[in-house]
Parts: sequence; C-alpha cells; structure tokens
Amino acid sequence: MDLLANLALGFGQALTPYTLLLALIGCVVGTLVGALPGLGPSNGVALLIPITFSLGFDAMEALVLLTSVYYGCMYGGRISSILLNIPGDEPAMMTCLDGYPMAKQGKASDALAISGVASFVGSFLATVGLMLVAPLLARVAFKFGPAEYFALYLLAFCTLGGLGSNNQAKSAMAAAIGLAIAMVGLDKGTNMPRFTFGNLHLYDGIDFLVAIVGLFAVVEIFLFIESHGRNSAIGVKLEKITVDFKLIWSTRMSMLRGTFLGFIAGILPGAGASLGSFLAYMFEKSVAKDKATFGKGNPKGVAAPEAGNNAAAGGALIPMLTLGVPGSGTTAVMLALLLTLNITPGPLLFTERPEIVWGLIASLFIANIMLLVMNVPMVKVFVHVLSVPGFILLPGVTMVAFVGIYSLSGSSFDMLLMVGFGAMGYVFRKLDIPTVPVILGILLGNSMEDNLRRAMTLSDGDWTYLFSSPIAIGLWIFAIAGFVAPIFLRTFLKPPAHAEAADQD
Amino acid sequence: MKLTLRALGLSAFGLLAATTSALASECIAPANPGGGWDFTCRQVARIMQETGAIGDTMQVTNMAGGGGGVAYTHVVAERGTDAGLIVAASSATTTRLAQNAFAGMDASQVRWLGTIGGDPGVIVVAKDSPFQNINDLINAVKADPSAVSFAGGSAVGGFDHLKVLMLLDRAGFSDAKAVKYIGLDGGADAITQTVGGFTQAMTGDMSEIQGFIKSGDVRALAVLSDARVAGFDDIPTAKEQGVDLTAMNWRGLYVPKDISEDDYNKWAAALTKVAESDAWKTVMAENGLAPYTLIGPDFQGFVDQNIAEIHEISKEIGIIQ
Amino acid sequence: MAADRYFGLFMLVTALGYILNATTIQDSFITDPVGPRVFPYIIGGAIVLSAIAMIVKPDPDAEWPGLSILVQLAIALAVLLGYAFLIKPLGFIATTVLASGILAYQISHRPFASALTGVGLGVGLFVLFRFVLGLSLQGLPQMFIS
Repeated sequence: MDLLANLALGFGQALTPYTLLLALIGCVVGTLVGALPGLGPSNGVALLIPITFSLGFDAMEALVLLTSVYYGCMYGGRISSILLNIPGDEPAMMTCLDGYPMAKQGKASDALAISGVASFVGSFLATVGLMLVAPLLARVAFKFGPAEYFALYLLAFCTLGGLGSNNQAKSAMAAAIGLAIAMVGLDKGTNMPRFTFGNLHLYDGIDFLVAIVGLFAVVEIFLFIESHGRNSAIGVKLEKITVDFKLIWSTRMSMLRGTFLGFIAGILPGAGASLGSFLAYMFEKSVAKDKATFGKGNPKGVAAPEAGNNAAAGGALIPMLTLGVPGSGTTAVMLALLLTLNITPGPLLFTERPEIVWGLIASLFIANIMLLVMNVPMVKVFVHVLSVPGFILLPGVTMVAFVGIYSLSGSSFDMLLMVGFGAMGYVFRKLDIPTVPVILGILLGNSMEDNLRRAMTLSDGDWTYLFSSPIAIGLWIFAIAGFVAPIFLRTFLKPPAHAEAADQD
Repeated sequence: MKLTLRALGLSAFGLLAATTSALASECIAPANPGGGWDFTCRQVARIMQETGAIGDTMQVTNMAGGGGGVAYTHVVAERGTDAGLIVAASSATTTRLAQNAFAGMDASQVRWLGTIGGDPGVIVVAKDSPFQNINDLINAVKADPSAVSFAGGSAVGGFDHLKVLMLLDRAGFSDAKAVKYIGLDGGADAITQTVGGFTQAMTGDMSEIQGFIKSGDVRALAVLSDARVAGFDDIPTAKEQGVDLTAMNWRGLYVPKDISEDDYNKWAAALTKVAESDAWKTVMAENGLAPYTLIGPDFQGFVDQNIAEIHEISKEIGIIQ
Repeated sequence: MAADRYFGLFMLVTALGYILNATTIQDSFITDPVGPRVFPYIIGGAIVLSAIAMIVKPDPDAEWPGLSILVQLAIALAVLLGYAFLIKPLGFIATTVLASGILAYQISHRPFASALTGVGLGVGLFVLFRFVLGLSLQGLPQMFIS
C-alpha cells in the first residue's frame, strides 16, 4: 500500500521522543495563545519561528513544533469563548453562542469537553481528507471564480436571518453595519480612500480583530458592571466536573455534519475557517428538531461549529499546500512557516517533497492526538477559571485584549477603536441586535465587493454573469431559500415573542 | 484564568526565554505571507543567520496594507533611526512610489540598501488555451479587447497590471482603458483563476508561477527578460517574438533613513554576504530568479532611475495624469 | 419600544450620511464597470431598509440601567479610553495598575483587594507578555527610558 508506506515515511520522520516533547510544548503554547483574546495563531507561530533558528531545529522538528502551535490555537480559541463569552480567535466566535449559555447554567465542563472532542473530530477527519484526496480536492478551487465566491458570501449573509435574534431586521442591520465598516480604507480597485475622513490610520481599513475584541471582550466589562455579575458565568456554581461521555456521543452527528461543511469551506481559498464554523452552526440549527434551544445552551450548537472550525483549518491546508494560496489568516501563517523552512508549496510539492508532506501530515496527527489527550482531562483545570473572582478576571481579560490590539500596530488609534466597538456592543446587547453578523460583515465585506467587481469586469458589466455557472446558480438558490425560509417558518410557527433578550448575541 | 495562564506560561518559559534574551533584528515584509516580499524577508533572514552575517536572530514581521504603503509610513514615521530593521522591497514598491501612491511620500525618505536578485515577468495561459505564442494573444486583444481578460497578483495600476499594459503598448495597442485586468491577492490566486478558465491570461513573476509551469497547469507564452531564464530554457522571451519589453521585478531591501553610516555599511556587508552565498544561489535556481546584484550607493542610483522610468511609462499609458 | 425606534432613526440618519459620503468617493483614471461607489450604496440601502423596519416594528424594550449605573459605565468607558492614550507615555505597568485597579473597584467595591488586583495584573501580565510570550512591550514610563 502506497498510503501506508507514505504514512510510515511521515511518522518515521516526525515521531521521536524529542519531537514528542516539542509537540507537547507547542500544544501548551498554542492553547495559551489561542485562548487569549486578541492573540491568535499568527502571534503564536510568528513568535516561535525565530526560535526554530536559534535552537538549530531541522525542518521536521520545526514543523512538528509549529503545527502543534497552529492546532493548539484552534483548540484554545474555544476556551475563552465558552468560559467568558469572548472568542479567543475569530472562528471561535460561533462557539460563544451556545457554549457560554451552557457555562452560565453550570455546564462549562460539558461544553469544554464536547468542543474539545469536536475539535478533534473536525481536525482529525480533515487531516485524513488531506491525506487521501488532497491533490484531487485542490481542483475544486479552480471551479470557483468571482461569480461563485460572490454567491457563496451572499449565501452566508442570507442565512443570518435564522441566527439569534427573533427580529430579522436586526440581523440584517448588524450585517450591513459590518459591511459598511469593511468599506473603510483604500479601495483596491482604484486606490482611492473611502470613508477615511483624511485619517491615515483608516487607510488600511479596520482590522476585524479590533472589532471582535471590542464587541466581545470589552463589552463584557460593561455588562458585568451593570449587572454586578448576576448575568455572568463567572462565579456560577459548577454542577459537576466530570466528563459526560454519553452527552458527547449524543452530538456525534452534529460533529460529522460540522466537519463536512467546515472541510468544504476550508478547501475554498476564499472561504476560510470563520465561514466554515458559521455555516456549520447555521446548518446544524436548520436541521435540528430542537431549534428553539439553539443560542440557549444546546450542546449541538457547540459541537457543530467547533468541528467545522477545526475541519476548515485542516481543509485550508489543501489549497495552501497544493496551490500556494493561503485561504485565511491562519493558513497564511503556516505558509510563512513552510517558506521559512525553504519549502515552496505548489502543485509539485506532493511529488517533489513527499517526505515534507507526509511528515507534515504525521505531525498534524501527533498534534491532534496530543491535544485531545491534553484537553479532555484539562477541562477540570479550565473550568476553575470561573472560580476566579470577576473583579480580577474581567480587568485582566480586558488588559490582555488591549495588549493584543496594541501589538497589531502599536498605535493608540486601534485601542480607541476597540473601546468604541465595546460601547457599540453594549448598545447592541441592550437592543438585542446580534453582534456575530457585524464581524461576518467586516470579515467578508471586502472579498465580497472585490469579487463582485471582478465579475463585472470580466463580463463588461453584464449582471447575468453572476448566475452563469451551475455552482453559482446552486448557491443562489440556497441563498434565497435560506433567506425566505425563516420568514415563512416564522409566519407559520409564531415563536414565543421575545423569549430571552439578554442571552442572545 | 490568570492562574492557569501562569501555570501554562511557566512551563513554556524555559524554551521561550532563549529568544527574548537578545533583542532580535527585524525584517518587515510589507505584505501577507506567501508573496515576493515575504519570500525576500524569510530567505534573507534565514541566510543571514545561517552564514553568521548578523550576530543575532532575525524576526520576520508581516505588515500588510496599501501595497506596501502601511509599512513605508510606519518606517518613515516611527522607525527612522532603528538600526536593527530592514524592509523588503521590489519593483512593486518603486511602482507605487512613482505613481505617488504612498500618501505623498517619496523614495528619498528611506535609504535603499540593495537588490540581490531579479524575478523576470512571465505571461502565461491555461494549458488548453488556443494562444500558442505572445503574438496570438496580442492579436486577440487588438481584435477585441473585451474578449481577453488578464489576471494578476497586484491591484489595478500595480506592477503586474503595468506589465500587461506595457506589453500591449509596445505591440502597438495603447488603449489602456479597454484592457480587462482583474487584480487578485497574490500570484497564486491569479493562477487559480486562470487555470479555472475565468480569465484568459495571467501575468506575474517567474518565482510565483514556476511550480505551475513545471506541473503543466499553465503554459508560458513569454518571459519578459533579456535572455531566456536558466532552467526554463524552452520559454521564449518577448523580445525574440518581436515585442521589445523586459520587466524584471528586482528583489531588494531598504532601511530607515536616519541610521548611522556605520550601520548602513554593516547591512550592506551582510547583504553582500547573502548575495554571494551558495544558499542564496540555490534558492535563486529553485525559484527561477536571475542573478541581479546591486548594493549600496549604486542601488540608490538605480532606484531613482527606476522610479523616473515607471513614472514616465505610467504617464504615457495614462495611469497617472 | 422607544429604544428600537430611536436606534432605527439614528441608523437611518447615519446611513443617509454614509451614502452622501459615498457620492464623494473619487474614481481613478482606470476604473471597473462597478466602480468604488456602487457597493457602499447597496450597503447604505440595506441599512436604510432595516432601520425603517426597526422603526415600524420595534421589539419591546430591554431594561435600561438607572442613572447611578450609567455613571459607573461612563467612568469605565473613560478609564478604557484613558488607557489607550496613556499606555505609550506612561508605559504598560503603571497604566495597567491604574486601569485594572479602578475597574476592579467598580466591580467589587473593595479598595484593598482592587489595589492588589491592579498591581498583580500590571506586573503579572507584563511578565507574561514581555518575558514569556516575548512581545516587545514597554513597561516603564517613556521619560525613564530616554
């Protein structure tokens, strides 16, 4: 068997006591960096790249260390999502929606265990996919041109109606505000400034990290002061700190569905992990029989996006390795890492450097298994974060967020923006306007516009070009169905008016 | 959380302490990972460390935005005297400067250190394209400009776009507005669109396309260099095919303006060492780069001339008034 | 009821301003068929529509905090804004001690514990970021360094 021989080659390279130690260190550092809001995989890997030189690691050792950091971050991001309602990195934002309500009900350990296993399932299966069919799947990227990407983004926005708030206008408003914010900066097509008001800091646009940290982390401190911590998971009596394997098993289908969707999103260079976890969550909600409990602590709402997020991170390695196209910020970091090791990803990588590819696959497996082994028992440690008094925890998290943003550009301007987003987030919470669509708008806005304009350039302004391929038409149909369906369902089913305003975000 | 963090942090402390002891020098790549600037920084950083050209480690920072403008502003405004800093640059940088696209800043606000390699421009089409040589392509544009679209890794008006416009201009087609060009986020992205059949041709640098040429996904119609490139001997130059155009994307670096003469010379010496190293020669051969070394004052003169040239061309074609 | 309507009205005005601002975006010499203004127009339109929907069909109001809490929130906001301005001149440690101390007091109303929290976070986080994670963070006030 070719495959087994290749795997043996990979593990032969990547599995030594020394590399196992490196993997352990990488997993710990990655989890830590991933869990800190505002610091993400790019910080983690950027931090470690110089070390690989100064300590004289060879390519394989460096690869093991850095893939562990990469996957560690993906696992770590969920921890602060669940415990504090603050996503550690942007794909983990969907995990907040049900993870935090679970923590508020004292089920933080369940949420952490489910999401840990879901992370494992997602990234493990994605790695298997990478191993079996990578060169084949890379071809999928060739099927997506400007029109298809535009339709894909539209699909994401059209399904927003089913999210959180009972009021569809509020979701639409939030998404439009996000898109409007994304327009700030130099226009790529003409190089002309838009909505910058002559401020040089705005020429490069508003970093979504600033928005995410503001809307999620800063807002928590306002809410905590307002409610004196009554409406928070901090200090909640923990029901039980055992790992409930039956509950985990009951979410298995959610994990698999999330993995599938996330993996597909990962393969498409223009989609990325955030879109993967978003679509996984929305799909899970749409097929679930207990829709009404989504957003209020449904374990499936934790399992699906977390599996999707990690599967997307794994899937995104496919276009990165076979085409050299980094699909998202996090894969860009991996690409940088490979280039540093003098490995140039591209269509020939699998045939020219098999030892690297299979070594990488082996190290992904190693990192994954190590993270699973670390994470499930560690749940018991993590939940104790909630027993730290709020007056220490929240200022601490806020300061961490400040440093994360400060490290982006070293300017006060971004920090001011972040506080501004915090104030905006507070008003949004009060008005029951969901904040996830704002982030989605900021994340996808520029790509959406770029692809629309590219499509129009290619078609000389003929709008029918947007529906000119079967894939594009299919995506449009799903988008329209996704937009219309909740309106009809709402008319027929009449949900209980205004159930639990403060819980939804 | 703090307690957990401390515990986790301490266990990593032993390893990480190694880097923070010495303040590392830094190479800023003014774009996201994967592009030419990132490549320059990462290779130079690696080789400088391996050859001992610098005493300490070198960290690579990606500072994307504004086609390099964000990094340029940052260096001019905040790092003017930082002797530990080098910044990757290329023809794309001078193109932007020539078109006054860095918010009014000009080339005299930094010191130009040197270039250590050239990346020749290439025009490619998908493998099943009807175009067999560069003249087929040019004639198709002349016949109906709206039937041929180009993809490139730079924004509208950037170096990749300029290559297309210059090529057509030299071949006698000067209606720049009629040429269809879409700018994507980097060469690899642009190739994906071309292989997928969304655009008919693609321009970029040899280094970002060479893997796809070798794998047979795309076919190169012309290389925009004076002579054929070693390792890609079957790709004809545009000159051979009657279009007199060379477009070499040099790969180089600049440093902040107000560092001392000593520091500048130190960097120049380190860069010379890189240019002469075997490691760099291997990297060039693997990536389709042509040797192109100019370091120190010579390079300063080259940059000024390069900017004047691009300014002239941009004006001629009509990208700037 | 009222809050949704006020917000809708506010966003309506903002969106109209946004669209107005978008009309002033300039073309460069070469531009694509869509141009730099169309997409902002579409977004502005979407905000206008959703704002109108919020005005016409508002949700019941959430409970808004009383005046004393609002003052507390304003103080917290001021502390955070001040932090952004002061971190450069005063360095990380002093600003963090101050800001997290005040925030901790707002939450706990225990002066001693809050002061301790401030000092602990200021020093602890500095050690974490500077020495463990290796971020280049300036700890002390600027005047001591230069």
